[in-house]
Amino acid sequence: MTMDRPRFAQGLTFDAYKRQMTRNRERFEENERRVELRPDDVAAFQQLPRPLHVVVLAEDWCGDVIANLPVVGRLAQASGKLDIRVFLRDQNDDLMQRWLNQGTFKSIPVVVFYDDDFRELGHWIERPASVTDLRAKRRREIFAAHPEFGSPDAPVDQLPEDVRAQLQAELAKMRDETTPFANQEVIRELRELVTRVAA
Amino acid sequence: MAGPVKVRITYCAECGYEPQTLDLAKTLMLEFGAELSSIELIPWDGGTFDVSVAGELVHSMRREGGFPEPATIKDAVRARLRS
Repeated sequence: MTMDRPRFAQGLTFDAYKRQMTRNRERFEENERRVELRPDDVAAFQQLPRPLHVVVLAEDWCGDVIANLPVVGRLAQASGKLDIRVFLRDQNDDLMQRWLNQGTFKSIPVVVFYDDDFRELGHWIERPASVTDLRAKRRREIFAAHPEFGSPDAPVDQLPEDVRAQLQAELAKMRDETTPFANQEVIRELRELVTRVAA
Repeated sequence: MAGPVKVRITYCAECGYEPQTLDLAKTLMLEFGAELSSIELIPWDGGTFDVSVAGELVHSMRREGGFPEPATIKDAVRARLRS
């Protein structure tokens, strides 16, 4: 697979992607509103020597897309330096095969940066490891604080339905509380990547 | 003969696993019909795809990796129905 200008043009703009979403658009746009951009982060993107083409692989059912693509969109909007085109993962397997997570998994979102000649500069996949680690730690703490949830490694279908609902609510609350950290980590990683490769 | 057997499929609702979930549920419906007491679909997260038959976990994506072969689940149901 080679990305070039004609193929890039086949992708959806950020707004067109949102318009074609059949689910989770409300959550997506709420997450967009919740992204807080620090002036120094925006400045780092604004100071890129030239705009970058950005290919994103996404699907509207994916939690990591709903969480993290809004961050990319807000950075693009605020900096004016990221020209985004979104490709649906399941309709563009040739692209997906190029950026498999650990060479195996079709993790999304994938965010790929190109220069004006469509030379790949770098890519970013799914979510920061720091976010995975923090949420795993918080998850263990929830289970430790609630013996009724049983073991974190046990299948949840073994729990009574009301307890399962309580666990789901606790996990949703935890994800919500850790969202500001997660958003800032996405920004930090993308900033480090683009300022390293596009300088 | 054993009593009715319940199957639970816990799937990650943020991972696009609905097609595999529905395919497996349909396979079991067509194979076993009213021999099953129920098929429960539990939307979850974290990359989960677990299948329990009569309370016993017979497939876990985390444990076995990937999705189960339908034959594996059918065999587990048959074994439970005969026990």
